Amino acid sequence: MKLKIMVLFFLFGFVLSNAQTKKIDFIQYKLDNGLNVILHKDNSTPIVTVAVLYHVGSKNEEPERTGFAHFFEHLMFEGSPNIKRGEYFKIIESAGGELNANTSFDRTYYYQVMPSHQLELGLYMESERMLHLKIDSIGVETQRKVVKEERKQSYENRPYGSLVEKLFGNAYKVHPYRWTPIGIAQYIDMAKLDEFIAFYKKYYVTQNATLSIAGDIDINKTKELIKKYFSEIPAGVEKIERPTVVEPPQTSEVREIVYDKVQLPLVLHAYHMPAQGTPDYYALNLLTSVLSGGESSRLTKEIKDKQQKAFFVGTIPLALEDPGLFIIYGLTNVGVKPEELEAAFENEVEKVKKELISEIEFQKVKNQTETQFVTRNSTMRGIAESLANYFVYFGNADLINSEIQRYMKVTREDIKRVANKYLTKENRVVLYYLPKPAEAN
Amino acid sequence: MKKLFFLILVIAFVNPVFSQLDRSKLPEPGPASEIKIANYESFELKNGLKVFVIENRKLPRVAFNLILDVDPVLEGENAGYVSAAGDLLRTGTKKRTKDQLDQEIDLLGATLTTSATSIFASGLERNKEKLMEIVSDIILNSVFKQEELDKIKKQTLSGLATAKDDPNSISQRVGRVIMNGKDHPYGELETEETVNSFTLDMCKSYYESYFRPNVAYLAIVGDINKAKAKQLVEKYLSKWEKKDVPQMTYPTPKAPVVNKVALVDRSNSVQSVIAVGYPVELKIGSDDAIKASVVNLILGGSATGRLFMNLRESKAYTYGAYSSMSPDRLIGSFTAFTQVRTSVTDSAITEIIGEMKKLRNEKVDEEELQKAKNLLSGSFVRNLESPETIARFAINTARYNLPKDYYKNYLKTLNALTADDVLATAKKYIKPNNLYLLVVGSGDEVAKNISKFSVSSKVDYYDTNGDLYDPSAKKIPAGITAESVIKKYVEAIGGRENILKVKDKITNMTGTVQGMNLTITINQKEPNKLYQVLDAGVFQQKTIFDGTKGYTEGMGQKTEFTGEQLEDMKDNSLHSMLDYDERGVKYELTGMETINGKDTYKISFTQPSGKKSTAFYSVELGFLVRTASSVSTAQGTFNQTIDMDDYREVQGVKYPFKMNQNFGPQSIELTITSYEINTGLPDSLFEVK
Repeated sequence: MKLKIMVLFFLFGFVLSNAQTKKIDFIQYKLDNGLNVILHKDNSTPIVTVAVLYHVGSKNEEPERTGFAHFFEHLMFEGSPNIKRGEYFKIIESAGGELNANTSFDRTYYYQVMPSHQLELGLYMESERMLHLKIDSIGVETQRKVVKEERKQSYENRPYGSLVEKLFGNAYKVHPYRWTPIGIAQYIDMAKLDEFIAFYKKYYVTQNATLSIAGDIDINKTKELIKKYFSEIPAGVEKIERPTVVEPPQTSEVREIVYDKVQLPLVLHAYHMPAQGTPDYYALNLLTSVLSGGESSRLTKEIKDKQQKAFFVGTIPLALEDPGLFIIYGLTNVGVKPEELEAAFENEVEKVKKELISEIEFQKVKNQTETQFVTRNSTMRGIAESLANYFVYFGNADLINSEIQRYMKVTREDIKRVANKYLTKENRVVLYYLPKPAEAN
Repeated sequence: MKKLFFLILVIAFVNPVFSQLDRSKLPEPGPASEIKIANYESFELKNGLKVFVIENRKLPRVAFNLILDVDPVLEGENAGYVSAAGDLLRTGTKKRTKDQLDQEIDLLGATLTTSATSIFASGLERNKEKLMEIVSDIILNSVFKQEELDKIKKQTLSGLATAKDDPNSISQRVGRVIMNGKDHPYGELETEETVNSFTLDMCKSYYESYFRPNVAYLAIVGDINKAKAKQLVEKYLSKWEKKDVPQMTYPTPKAPVVNKVALVDRSNSVQSVIAVGYPVELKIGSDDAIKASVVNLILGGSATGRLFMNLRESKAYTYGAYSSMSPDRLIGSFTAFTQVRTSVTDSAITEIIGEMKKLRNEKVDEEELQKAKNLLSGSFVRNLESPETIARFAINTARYNLPKDYYKNYLKTLNALTADDVLATAKKYIKPNNLYLLVVGSGDEVAKNISKFSVSSKVDYYDTNGDLYDPSAKKIPAGITAESVIKKYVEAIGGRENILKVKDKITNMTGTVQGMNLTITINQKEPNKLYQVLDAGVFQQKTIFDGTKGYTEGMGQKTEFTGEQLEDMKDNSLHSMLDYDERGVKYELTGMETINGKDTYKISFTQPSGKKSTAFYSVELGFLVRTASSVSTAQGTFNQTIDMDDYREVQGVKYPFKMNQNFGPQSIELTITSYEINTGLPDSLFEVK
């Protein structure tokens, strides 16, 4: 038995050395004001991604100001003393660039992909809003309405749209993950202008930011330009607050039924899981592939293909900076009861808890993981974001090359062990989405 | 304290006095790099398969992308079988069961997906041959099984159920119907009915007819050179047999003559999904395609387009507002779309139409034009990062017969466009007075406000399957039953006694179909004998039925009645309205509908064979005014409706003197010149030889 595993490891070792020929090289340093800089050079296409990650997300918000971090993401496009309102997008697009931003529980991320000869413009634009963002009432009022429409479009007017809110609201009692980045609309209406300014002063500061650049650049010239535009930005003086509260272990199953305007019932199991980067996190990731990676995976093969109980099944290891959720969910096929789908989930979970996965299955999920890992760095935009994430979350941007080794350390026994440790009834939240009964006229 | 705080902020935020830089000017761009479009190589197999190799060694992966260049199929009452055929390709071959396929692909860590017109496979470089072998196994040896089709149907039905509740899916589905019509492949929809009706044989026949190398392009992208690619393709795909593939032509959908307003009532919606559009004749790779893309970009192609700046940044109606102008080989489309809070639905439409008019009437300024060009150039260059882009260029160049240097010259062509070009193109392609306006939202709240966009103030209501309905359809009055409706009809046309007096009947009628004049004579004798002659000048068709058997003969072909058709003939008696119960026909009053402006009762009939049809009876007069049924033919299943009008009495019984028959996309107007009753038709006339 042991010998076989050794052979497998040997095989993987060979594969890895092969994959490593595509290593992502990068340079990393810090400006005097604390701004972290990561540079990756690749001259194959004349484009460059200029991105800034601010280490602030919805978990840094006050409970009565939820939605603040995301709202701020909108304000960051409002301009500066040198960039008029509404001009930020125009300037970047006029230079042939594309741009966007997103906010998660843990961070807010801004990027522009520019023709490489417009690198300096990209740096200037990011430096402008890091140095002196303009926050005024016209911008705040407009974005308040826009964000409300975003909330409706993405959550309220969409079937199952309240899912994430329901899930996190049930799974967390004290940790700020109990609200989601879109937040509650009314809080943004209540916020005063000076609260926005204070938020900016606290979190949108150099020592809380990582500037990540990937693409067709000259390293030395880029360093000079970064110095030119970012070194004069003063470091923040306020203490950056990070939540220290630890969510106590859940001791009994939490269950909610939501009636929504949907046709197909949805069943979701969410188990508390450890933070990203921990050894168990990697084992749970491989477990995800066992359950739902590809057509031959257990949930897909058994529940969707063979038993035809589900229209869709999926597993998401929603790992976050603080402990997150391991989610199994599915939509029933027409005519299938949600209880049947839930029983089918439990049945498959029981199997991975009782028996080691087979060696061939183990090899399969490792192959899938490896393929994803070595083929994912296909765009400058993706590389800039991965480098920034690895640095901010793990303190080590080189994980872009080496994180695969952590996955490969996982054993079959680890997968069984984490299934038993985390996929327990008392550790989970169960959600049902059921069709709303016809409204009484 | 607060005041002081604020003062400091003013200094820190508004006056960057300590800056050593002049930040008031935007930095100048550096010297632009040369834009290089990567090369590709190509070759063709003897069986006609065209292969493109795009070598790119950045990542250790290889992707195979096979695309079929075939005309879309009009599936009619069986919509869904083409797409199911694509899914079935992934469910087993002569060599591999579905389980084996799934297991092997996953063990490689690879991805493999199929559709009715494509196969895509991607994996690590070291697995490329294995992957090619699996792709070829699927192409050459697919086996379609009923049990797999049943699974796919079940999944499809579940998918349709979810689409019913998603306002964006509804908008897309109904939008397709409105823009293209259900008689165009782009306008037909899968519904529960069509999914239940198609068969495994239809899927098999699609695979047999269409999956052929002579209409296929294969792009091989990634860590592979031409020699290796050629060796693989020759080894695994040269056995693929070529065969002529059916070609189709369809009528070209047109923009409406005046603006038309359509609504899908989704009560409880907190937003309206607005789509404003029309079909556009714009071919991929045409001279106008690049010009039209600039026009669209200025209007709504980005988050700085006029629609976005107006509806979001200025009015804050929405999270986003965009437009698209899509060229296509058959018929392209223009659509402007947004989701706004319910209360501003009509204001948002006004703004969209306003922006469209402005673009047609005013020249864009140079700055805005330059911005649009830069944005499109930038997007073009960004896309070059992906080797799949080069594959697309290669395939498009061959498929649409583009000039060899079309993509090489793209940036040059784009940059040469002037504001005059943009204005001329906008005048040609932006049609604010020929729109379909579709709103998916709360009918109670928006219907009245959006009716003003229609010249006739009319709002057409559609259900989620793209079928029109009348929202004011009345509830069936108390006391009205299927029996009473049929009884009233019998009374209206003369009563049971008079009907029974008719022993035989000759109906003489004339009509035109597709410009041809038709003469039809129908001889009927009780109970259900028929002899019919149809004369279209260039050909004749004769139909005989002796009560138990019969045939249709024309153009040198004779077809015996069997199955469903035979049952139809048996049922077609002179007195069929009098004896439904005796014949075991079930009937049910299922609603009321407005037909040609008149209220009708709708009765659904089910024959003992299970065949269903529907009949509509005038509420006011009692007459039968329409029958509807589906008819199976060699070409597929079609809906047939016959409208009847101008009832007049002939020897005690009233008959319609006008009929209008709609059969699939075909419409025939018929005028009855005379009915001859009880002329003593001899039995020999109906003899089947």
